[in-house]
Amino acid sequence: MSELIAIITSPDPEIRNRPLDRYCQQASLEQLLQDAADLDRFRRESSNLYEKVRALFFLYAIHRFHLPTKGISRSSKIPFEGVQLRLKRRFEEAIDVFLHDHETYGASDSICSALGDSYHNLGFQTLADQVRRSVRSSRGNQWMFRIGHSADHPLRIRPELVKRSDEGLYPLLQEQTPVRMDLTHSGWSDIFFLGMDFPEGARVINTSVNLAVRGADGSDAPHPAKPPIEAFFRVIDEPVIRLTSVDLNASATIDSLAEMFDYARDYLGLLKGAVIASGLIPAGIEGAHQPLSDLLNKVIGPGLGFEVVSHVNGIPKGSRLAVSTNLLASLIAVCMRATGQTASLTGPLQESERRIVASRAILGEWLAGSGGGWQDSGGVWPGMKLITATQPTENDPEYGISRGRLMPTHKIFDYDDVSAETRQKLTDSLVLVHGGMAQDVGPVLEMVTEKYLLRSEKEWEARQEAIALLDEMVELLADGDIQAIGEATTRNFFRPITTIIPWATNLFTERVIQKAREKFGEDFWGFWMLGGMAGGGMGFLFDPAVKGQAMLALQTMMLEAKEELQDGVPFAMDPVVYDFEINEIGTTGELKGSNEALMPVAYYTLILPDLIRQDSRALSAGRRAELDAFAAASRIQPEMNGSIGALFDQLLPKRGPETDGAATLHQLLAENGFDQDQHEQIRSDLISGRIGIAQNRLPVNARIEDVRPTDVIDLADEPTESLKQMGEEALRAGRVAVVSLAGGAGSRWTQGAGVVKSLNPFVKLGGSHRNFIEIHLAKSRQTAAIYGTTIPHVITTSYLTERPIADFAAKISADPKQRLDLHVSSGRSVGLRLVPTARDLRYAWEEMPQQLLDEQAQKMQDSAHAALIGWAQGAGEGSDYTDNLPAQCMHPVGHWYEVPNMLLNGTLAKLLADRPQLTTIMIHNIDTVGANLDPVVLGAHLKDEATLTTEVINRRIEDTGGGLARIDGQLRLIEGLALPREEVEYELSYYNSSTTWVEIDQLLALFELSRADLTDDAKVAQAVRNMAARMPTYITLKNVKKRWGKGQEDIFPVTQWEKLWGDMTALPDVKTGFVVVSRERGQQIKEVSQLDGWLRDGSAAFVDGLCLWE
Amino acid sequence: MKISKAVITAAGESQRSLPLQRVIDRDGVEKSVLEILITEATQAGINDIGVVIHPADEEAYQAVISSQSAKITFIPQAKPLGYGQAIFCASPFTAAEPFLHLVGDHLYVSRGPQGCAQQLVEIAEREACSISAVQATRESHLPLFGTIGGSRLPNQPNLYRVSDVLEKPTPTLAEQHLIVSGLRAGHYLCFFGMHVLTPSLMTILGDQVQAAGPNGNATLSAALAVLGKQEKYLALQKEDQRYDLGEKYGLLEAQLALALAGDEREEVLARLVNLLAK
Repeated sequence: MSELIAIITSPDPEIRNRPLDRYCQQASLEQLLQDAADLDRFRRESSNLYEKVRALFFLYAIHRFHLPTKGISRSSKIPFEGVQLRLKRRFEEAIDVFLHDHETYGASDSICSALGDSYHNLGFQTLADQVRRSVRSSRGNQWMFRIGHSADHPLRIRPELVKRSDEGLYPLLQEQTPVRMDLTHSGWSDIFFLGMDFPEGARVINTSVNLAVRGADGSDAPHPAKPPIEAFFRVIDEPVIRLTSVDLNASATIDSLAEMFDYARDYLGLLKGAVIASGLIPAGIEGAHQPLSDLLNKVIGPGLGFEVVSHVNGIPKGSRLAVSTNLLASLIAVCMRATGQTASLTGPLQESERRIVASRAILGEWLAGSGGGWQDSGGVWPGMKLITATQPTENDPEYGISRGRLMPTHKIFDYDDVSAETRQKLTDSLVLVHGGMAQDVGPVLEMVTEKYLLRSEKEWEARQEAIALLDEMVELLADGDIQAIGEATTRNFFRPITTIIPWATNLFTERVIQKAREKFGEDFWGFWMLGGMAGGGMGFLFDPAVKGQAMLALQTMMLEAKEELQDGVPFAMDPVVYDFEINEIGTTGELKGSNEALMPVAYYTLILPDLIRQDSRALSAGRRAELDAFAAASRIQPEMNGSIGALFDQLLPKRGPETDGAATLHQLLAENGFDQDQHEQIRSDLISGRIGIAQNRLPVNARIEDVRPTDVIDLADEPTESLKQMGEEALRAGRVAVVSLAGGAGSRWTQGAGVVKSLNPFVKLGGSHRNFIEIHLAKSRQTAAIYGTTIPHVITTSYLTERPIADFAAKISADPKQRLDLHVSSGRSVGLRLVPTARDLRYAWEEMPQQLLDEQAQKMQDSAHAALIGWAQGAGEGSDYTDNLPAQCMHPVGHWYEVPNMLLNGTLAKLLADRPQLTTIMIHNIDTVGANLDPVVLGAHLKDEATLTTEVINRRIEDTGGGLARIDGQLRLIEGLALPREEVEYELSYYNSSTTWVEIDQLLALFELSRADLTDDAKVAQAVRNMAARMPTYITLKNVKKRWGKGQEDIFPVTQWEKLWGDMTALPDVKTGFVVVSRERGQQIKEVSQLDGWLRDGSAAFVDGLCLWE
Repeated sequence: MKISKAVITAAGESQRSLPLQRVIDRDGVEKSVLEILITEATQAGINDIGVVIHPADEEAYQAVISSQSAKITFIPQAKPLGYGQAIFCASPFTAAEPFLHLVGDHLYVSRGPQGCAQQLVEIAEREACSISAVQATRESHLPLFGTIGGSRLPNQPNLYRVSDVLEKPTPTLAEQHLIVSGLRAGHYLCFFGMHVLTPSLMTILGDQVQAAGPNGNATLSAALAVLGKQEKYLALQKEDQRYDLGEKYGLLEAQLALALAGDEREEVLARLVNLLAK
């Protein structure tokens, strides 16, 4: 038996917890291949969830990190059949296809990447399937999936809710729910799988809290904290379901079952998920072609329906306080109360009921496409509690499948465990904040799971430390030593948490901590990371004597830090500070009758304008009674003050920022050289269908072949000494400069948040957080130091990035220690985004290969796509996209322009004037962090005497978007957008690394210019226009974020056009060479989720080795 | 244990008139529902029957009884204080003896020659304990019935020891507490409307009626739940059919079921086909 299987199956923790890496590092290639084959067989045969999943992650790590270091072949073709299966999430079959090639042709880097990726995905798919199965089959939830017809519905409304008051109002059932604060999550041990596999290590201390956002009314005065979540249920006298989210300004009247299951149609997915997870509309009825009124008739009565309203009191998204899970739980609880699924209609819930609510909240999250950990519905329970994972018993669906249960157990701390005094001291010391950063915690949770399964050495040690810290915390709470708690939570953050996931911290958080330390010294007791990662919801502990002062100071410090970093760090909102208190009740219900049965004021502000516009005779009797009651209350109740004013604002919106924004947009366009004629031409071509996503492609009869071995110079096979000498000579002579292309928005990096990616301090290298530009400059600094010269380094920009990059460059250029010859090349081209055509959206989503998602997520996505197509048609296909911040409406027109811009704006002329010996520039993308002035590559370029030398890398499965090909006999780069058939991409062995070496004089000649012409603006402009006309124009869809409300974000696909630098290789009169470089050098960091692998496979260390830090 | 008394409840507001309805029984003879229920009891060897009624109904009830095969005692329920209190009204009549209990708004159709009550009474006498007839019922009907949870007795076909009883549970609660192994998913053992009850039940009911006070919401299910904790309490799973006359078309369905189970089946079937063909 393979030693790795022994590690997985051993009952002895000493063996079970051995790190995979240690074994793999000493294993030979043959041994590792044999182990992989044994593991694959083992995971197919095992029925145990843990064994299966751990074997899958071992296989992933072996293929992704270890086999590539054992001298396997660098390149081979990735079979397209496998790629297609992977896109359809049929990972099991994809693995079979890849394994066939692996066994037939021998191990190669390309196939290993495909296998690693498929094993990784299959691992997470297996885990997600198990969570789904567990939650569906837990007792109390199963029946909902069996009810397929309204006539079978077994629930009935509580009779109290259908008794109208004398005024004609139905009573209002209100649920109030606190949110939960996580005191220590023991290394994200609340991830479902950790609880299910390692119950002994999965423990958290979780506290229910009431909140108020300080300064929400513009004052600094403390606000009374209250349960921030409210859910309301009321019977209505129409056979429909009305759902309203007061916070999201969304309301819908639903009259069909199909609409109820259409989660992404509007902002009410969470409410729909809650109503379905509560059993009120059973999940099993999805797809049944029956009138909704039949179901409502059965459950409530003839002609009746119900209304559900959610209200979160001002808590912004990303608070790390599990607002959405607790809102879901609150909505589920109120619907369960209404249908007799709880013993009591009002008051707190019983323990068994809380457990059902929590398990249904997990179900609701799955239905509505969100996710959380098992502690997240902690607000349902009262006070402070220890939540621990538990071993399953015979009645649990996990019995015999996993070591732990999906649902944990909750031990509520009584006053003997944590005294009232300690609770008060904690309240007096802790400042809760929302830093304002917008983050996606999803990748972090995946990384944690992966590292746990692989028992990566230092991460596993860190996990033990985090587990031990929980016991320490329990003792400290018992002792009431808050200062020591502050020390422990700080230690937790800077040691175990950031050891397990370095990305849990960020420059913003560390800067705020630093500022707090500097200002408050000994009175600052510690930092407390809430939930998944830092930057959003966070806690700071202070001596109670300074808490008031600290609250004010933190607000200022966070704002300062935000302003310093916001160019490169995505913030969804300005930071806020909360007032809070511990909630000792948990979720609780109240029945309001008569004139008290009114919804929150904001509800009426939202729905009244529509009602007022209706003929009053069309309103139902219930609605009229409700409006009468609201009108009466607004005259006498003080909390209703201002409701009439708010109502008028809603009815007759004031001149909004959009109008102002539009003026600024036109101004900005004019300032950035927007070409209105060209824009109109593109719009008309787009609407008429002359250009579009489908038209980007080469004709189907184009002959596209992979390159021949002699077409490229593979530096791994070449004697490099003479090349190195040539390169070194050029470097010493100061003949070489670097150009970093930083005009792009980096939309994949922050999913369209519109910050400057190149300024995002994404990784700690040399002891500090570094952004992309700092890394590139540090490489130039090192080259300059080695060759005793200075390296001119140009950062190109666009309208989007120019000001922040110029500010950053000015700051570091002013520092003589930086030793840099830095230039910023400003953008001279800009486009205005367009509302996409439905044709392009359909083509992109329906015709092009898409990653199929998990069943429910796919349903969500399909529904969102339908809504977005509706949006495009409603907003006007091909019309200007102006309904956003100006910067989000404009777009850079592709990095091809960034090089000619250096001609247009005089940067190249200045460089050549300063340094006439300059002959060569290395142009690279800001994402290609491993690219430096390597003398060997430079030598290869010089020796080849080409105008352009482009670097390529061997393809891995994640490298999509074109490659190096022979097209109708001509060797050139081809963009993914232009490939006529998807499968062609995987026939191409090499992928473009986006780094090009350019001979300046030859390039100028291509533009029909000489060095002397560079000062003739008109001639240069004409030359650039002529060359641009030879470049193809691509139409692309980009996702842009529109922010609104309190940290809410929508993502819209918009159309833009671009010209790309790689197409220069297609010009027949350009001599182009192609050099194959190593992956460390050539890979591009496009997405945050790549970072962990980049760090672990040694690429980050490789880059660090190229850098000389100031 | 010998069972010689039976209690039929017929005082419920919505069911007062149902036992007075006349139907054609299996033998083709027109009878009132009450008479059919009395026959069910007498077939089980019980001749002393108490009928709990609304005080105003005695005359009407008296009028529909033609058979002299049993001694009938009418027990008035002075105030409509619920099902549990109605049974408790019969406690002077049962006088600390075990009794068979039938509900007045149900009709029972057995599959074989033996009556539904007869088998229940025989097993109760043999086991010397309270026993409820139950039937595997789909979860969609849970809002209509009391439901038991329990475990099957070894080597005793269709007999269960009852561990829990809930009145009209939600499926959420039923799944957590009332799943009985061996039944199809989504099926529970719900009351058949027929029980043999020991005197202890009356004692428990008495306590509960008193606790419920003047609003009166004591249920038989709650009392049975307590009974199950105090003494041996079994459930017999019946394959026979029961028809709730109070449901929409309940009486029609019961009449058809009786007719199709009787000697005139062919004729009724022919008429039905004729009706369908029109």
